[in-house]
Amino acid sequence: MNQVAQSVLPMTSADLSLFTLFWHAHWIVKAVMIGLLVCSVWVWAIAIDKTVLYARSRRAMDSFEQAFWSGQSLEELYRSLSSRPGHSMGALFVAAMREWKRSFEGSSRSFAGLQTRIEKVMDVTIAREVERLEKRLLVLATVGSAGPFIGLFGTVWGIMTSFQSIAASKNTSLAVVAPGIAEALFATAIGLIAAIPATIFYNKFAGEVNKQTQRLEGFADEFAAILSRQIDERG
Amino acid sequence: MRIASVVSATLHGAFLLWAVLSFSSRPFEVTPAESLPVDLVNIEDFQKMTKGAKDAPKKEEPAPLVEKVEPPKPVEEQKPKVEKKEVKTEKESAPPPPQQQPDAIADQIKKMEQPKEAKAEQKPPTPPKKPEKQQPKFDADKIAALLDKRDPTRNAAADIAPSSNSPGLGAARGNDKQLSMTELAAFKERLKQCWNPPVGADPNARLYVVMRVMFNKNGTVMRDPALVEGTASNFGPALADSGRRALLRCQPYTMFKPETYEIWKDIEVKFDLQEMLGG
Repeated sequence: MNQVAQSVLPMTSADLSLFTLFWHAHWIVKAVMIGLLVCSVWVWAIAIDKTVLYARSRRAMDSFEQAFWSGQSLEELYRSLSSRPGHSMGALFVAAMREWKRSFEGSSRSFAGLQTRIEKVMDVTIAREVERLEKRLLVLATVGSAGPFIGLFGTVWGIMTSFQSIAASKNTSLAVVAPGIAEALFATAIGLIAAIPATIFYNKFAGEVNKQTQRLEGFADEFAAILSRQIDERG
Repeated sequence: MRIASVVSATLHGAFLLWAVLSFSSRPFEVTPAESLPVDLVNIEDFQKMTKGAKDAPKKEEPAPLVEKVEPPKPVEEQKPKVEKKEVKTEKESAPPPPQQQPDAIADQIKKMEQPKEAKAEQKPPTPPKKPEKQQPKFDADKIAALLDKRDPTRNAAADIAPSSNSPGLGAARGNDKQLSMTELAAFKERLKQCWNPPVGADPNARLYVVMRVMFNKNGTVMRDPALVEGTASNFGPALADSGRRALLRCQPYTMFKPETYEIWKDIEVKFDLQEMLGG
């Protein structure tokens, strides 16, 4: 028994590097680790993508609002934007203006439902924009909530292996138990490494989406009010 | 999205590479604790705590039992032979030099082998002038010893003889002096008196626990004795508890001298049920 302990101990003390921890693991634990690593890569890809997207969207909104409130005539703004409406506020403005113009182009002027139509069009555009902003955010939420559990599954499996090795060697010395537990805890560590950034990013991005949606809705209401005044003046 | 994926994958790869490199460049080094293992078995075999008589005839002190001392490494046994061979080639041209060094080493080896009769027979004290007898003979024992790649300074765990008896091969961090057989025997005798093995355990099962005890300088137990290893069994916890109780009940252990505190401050005690109950 002591011979076993002596021959096992130096090996474990020397070989606790990441690769050996990985190679000595059961294939289920290996699958868990690889899956979590892929999750982590995906989470960070989404995070980078979303950060860039939100920054660009915010900048676009700022510049559009500046142009919109600069006193420039809406017709001119529409003409410059209609060729490439872009996203967010620009798209909202172009959609509303197109509906407005279409109502005036026809031979019969239809003012009756114009207000409702414009609001509908802007709602649809907002929904589309929000959908674009929220795309793939659920992946972050899923990884954030399920990652620790997946890691825990790998840990439970590894601990089972180490208990089996206890049963096989009829020895409870640390040298028999430690490698299995180390490899098991490694799975939990990877799970947490994947899950923690996912949760943080999800919360941050959810707040960002909320803010931008409110900004869009505020602009939509304001613009609807302006158009409504125009309709009433003309009608 | 594709750019972001590539960036993310690259960052992960870089992080993994860094982790692997930094982990592998700084390996975990487990320094085995310098401890003195004590078997609580067959105390009579080693020494009986008999009462002495003043008028008894003076007797030779029996040599301490050293049959479990680490054997001298075969690698070192080979060294003098190689040197002798070189000496032989030199001898053809020049008169024989005073071969002090090989003799000294050979003597040392013989001295180390003195307690082991079997080894002493295999290596008669041959003078270096007859090199044909120095040829390495086929020897099954030596092959086994040569194949033994274990650390020569490893601790002989759960062995009655601490490493202090081997002169050449001390542990790297050893600060061993020598604990006298009497102190050990007295310690074991005292523990045996205090130890109540759990009732109902099968004496034929190989049941044992190894407890690690740390002492204060006055011989009291410093903290709760820790379980180092033991047999996986239903009676394991009870056995460990009984050992712990025995260790705590018997303190202070006044048989240990304060001068040798470095030796006995950390001791591993093996409670072996089979040997105790004579199963």
